[in-house]
Amino acid sequence: MSLYFKYFKVHLKSELEYKTSFILSFIAQLFTLFSYYFTIICLFNQFSNIKGFTMYDVLLTFGIIQFGFAFCETFFRGIDKFDTLIIEGNFDRLLLRPRNILFQLFCDKLSLIKASKVIETIIVLIIAILNIEVNWNGYRIMTLIFMLFSAIIIFLAILIASASYCFLTIKGLEVRNVLTDGCKDMAQYPIGIFKKGFINFFTFIVPMGLVNYYPFLFLLGKSNNKLLCFCPLLTILYLIPAIWLFYRGLKRYSSIGS
Amino acid sequence: MPFIMVKHINKTFKVPIKASGIIGTIKSFFNRKYKYIKAINDISFSIKKGEIVGYIGPNGAGKSTTIKILSGILVPDSGEVKIDRLIPYKDRKKYVQEIGVVFGQRSQLWWDIPAIDSFNLLKEIYKIPDNEYQKTKDELIELLNLKDILNIPVRQLSLGNRMKCEIAASLLHKPKILFLDEPTIGLDAVSKKIVREFIKKINKQNNVTVILTTHDMADIEALAKRIILIGKGQILYDGSLSKLKKQYDYLRKITVITKDKVHLQKPYIVEEKTFEEGIEFVIDIRKIEINEFIKLISSKMSIIDIDVDSGNIDELIVKLYEDFKI
Amino acid sequence: MRSYLSYFKLKFITGLQYRAAALAGMSTQLFFGFMYISIYIAFYESGSSNLPMKLDELINYIWITQSFFMLIYAWYKDEEIINMIKNGNIAYELLKPQDLYLMWLHKILGERLSQTILRVLPVILIALILPKPYTLSLKTTLPALTISLIALLLAILLMGVLVTLYHVICMFTLDEKGIIAIIMVAADILSGLVVPIPFFPKYLQNINNFLPFRYISDFPIRLYIGNIPLSEGIISIIVQIVWIIILFALGKILANIAIKKATIQGG
Repeated sequence: MSLYFKYFKVHLKSELEYKTSFILSFIAQLFTLFSYYFTIICLFNQFSNIKGFTMYDVLLTFGIIQFGFAFCETFFRGIDKFDTLIIEGNFDRLLLRPRNILFQLFCDKLSLIKASKVIETIIVLIIAILNIEVNWNGYRIMTLIFMLFSAIIIFLAILIASASYCFLTIKGLEVRNVLTDGCKDMAQYPIGIFKKGFINFFTFIVPMGLVNYYPFLFLLGKSNNKLLCFCPLLTILYLIPAIWLFYRGLKRYSSIGS
Repeated sequence: MPFIMVKHINKTFKVPIKASGIIGTIKSFFNRKYKYIKAINDISFSIKKGEIVGYIGPNGAGKSTTIKILSGILVPDSGEVKIDRLIPYKDRKKYVQEIGVVFGQRSQLWWDIPAIDSFNLLKEIYKIPDNEYQKTKDELIELLNLKDILNIPVRQLSLGNRMKCEIAASLLHKPKILFLDEPTIGLDAVSKKIVREFIKKINKQNNVTVILTTHDMADIEALAKRIILIGKGQILYDGSLSKLKKQYDYLRKITVITKDKVHLQKPYIVEEKTFEEGIEFVIDIRKIEINEFIKLISSKMSIIDIDVDSGNIDELIVKLYEDFKI
Repeated sequence: MRSYLSYFKLKFITGLQYRAAALAGMSTQLFFGFMYISIYIAFYESGSSNLPMKLDELINYIWITQSFFMLIYAWYKDEEIINMIKNGNIAYELLKPQDLYLMWLHKILGERLSQTILRVLPVILIALILPKPYTLSLKTTLPALTISLIALLLAILLMGVLVTLYHVICMFTLDEKGIIAIIMVAADILSGLVVPIPFFPKYLQNINNFLPFRYISDFPIRLYIGNIPLSEGIISIIVQIVWIIILFALGKILANIAIKKATIQGG
């Protein structure tokens, strides 16, 4: 952990070398997220609800998912940008250092520019929480915290799994967009609004439902099953196959080279 | 057992064949063909502790593949590598603690910050104890004269100064083996000299084993007593540079400034050119010693000036490559 | 002219090289199309009256935007050109006996067309055979088809001059992440790719009519699916042409200023 902060300091120093660029990019990032926000506002201007969920409900699920993603983009940028590391041949450098490869990847890049998105999502979350109709109690607050936590975990797992893909080929990286961006865009909405196939997909294959749907039902009082409060924690299990895939990819990499 | 032991390693890569033109591109879009390239073909050698070995060969000969295998980045298809009782690609974390690697065309320093910050981070990465780090760092700063450049962002450094920092960075954890992949590429004459002398020094002082790839034969001449020549994935020569010289570097150009017009047709004279100020001979020193030859010509003509070209290692290598058809 | 076409050809061929990229791109587009439709279906099923687009119109709109996505999205930068500007290698481009602006325009058009050509047909074919309500329907009339094809061709040109303009601006800012990124996001939203423009608040729709962005994707596609009457289409085609001329001239003039500046400063 202390090593992570040492890396953090180095990256911070690097980014602040270019102050104007940093500030401009920081602001530009706010706009990228804005288009999603804009979509939701526009649509709820025309529709009063989506399958019984209000605008503030959707803003909450949107906020949670985008928070998890932005958090990973900010603090685990190296794994997000793994493709460039492979393409530029700099991955070899990590292999020459006596530390865990995944850990080094987390540290390899940090993007404080993306921190603007983290802040923005927190603002959206605050707006949603202030307006949403929830009878807050200890369990519900805990549920919300678990949801936020699991959002980080699930994107971490997705990023690790999709980084493993780069070991196979650096072509067709857009497949990663299907996984990360696509799943992210859909899961901005409570996944229960979709057709059965999608619900199964987001429950069993990419378990976004564990992050923002099943616990959300409990949060809104649509379900009284207290177990749902803990289901976000199951996302931790999802890390296992992701990490396994990564190490399999690593093995392949060292047998065929770049 | 030798310090570094490489036994019968092989490595083959699969590369797609690129077609040209629109039709070819569309064809290969649907049906891609591959070819197999044997990057390394049954290579074996061993290196003693404290040796400096020059690993040379033309582009694409398999040099960097070998370096990648030796540094644990690549696993060979078959064969065995053992370095200081470790298998590089098996005990990665333990092994890399013992090696330092400098890629002349890549950087391990963080581009936008001063080198000293990179050093401090590397200290943490390699878990170097405080007092030891302090000592090694001071030594390196002293030896490479880094004091004034350590606090400047790396991107603003000249190539020579950057390379000095790169090498220092790779030595902070006191590795037993140092891999240098074209360390002098693009450097000016002064920086090249500094780098070479420094490598020599740490090799002597710390008994660091150095494996060096380069295209600059002056590096080899200055540093390596032993060279391994590789071409098309195979070892073509492994031995001392002086022996190689004897085998391949036997022609000397002797330019004599004289007013006399003389013709010497002798079997040891390969070439004889007369020009306005004098005569240029190319002789075969396997057949006659240089001082014998000079004695002979001084008896035949009055010499105003004489110049003996002491053989060029670049030409030697060109000749070698031609001989081996690589 | 031929030398510019060779840039186009070069980019076009390079784009075709990447088989995996094409397959991946195709599945991306299908996935996103499917996803957007699913979200809208959920909204439409939740019931509301007075909607600005019928559901089947909206579905056609989504499939067509997805199949032409690589050609019409505004969030586009050519890494090669951007890197050249940033690391100063642009000096070599200036050594070539060609007009920088036209060279870039051809490069960008070539690359984007090559990326599109491998996706349009598969995406449309698959969308056609999808079960209801996801299916795409291509029913149209000959006049509508003709006019929207003209509109599409003009839209491609408009996209080309707009995207080239970003790169020209980058010669001044030397960084694509600040102002240019903001323009790109705005262009993305205002061209109707994020949410179809009929769903925008009225005042924004009115402002948008006076900006170039909606004439790249929103206009030709809504014209084709019948959400915009043909009579309005003719007027909008004139607007398209005007914007192409304006953006082309602007890009060309700015490029000349930037080149002059670069040669004076010595790169």
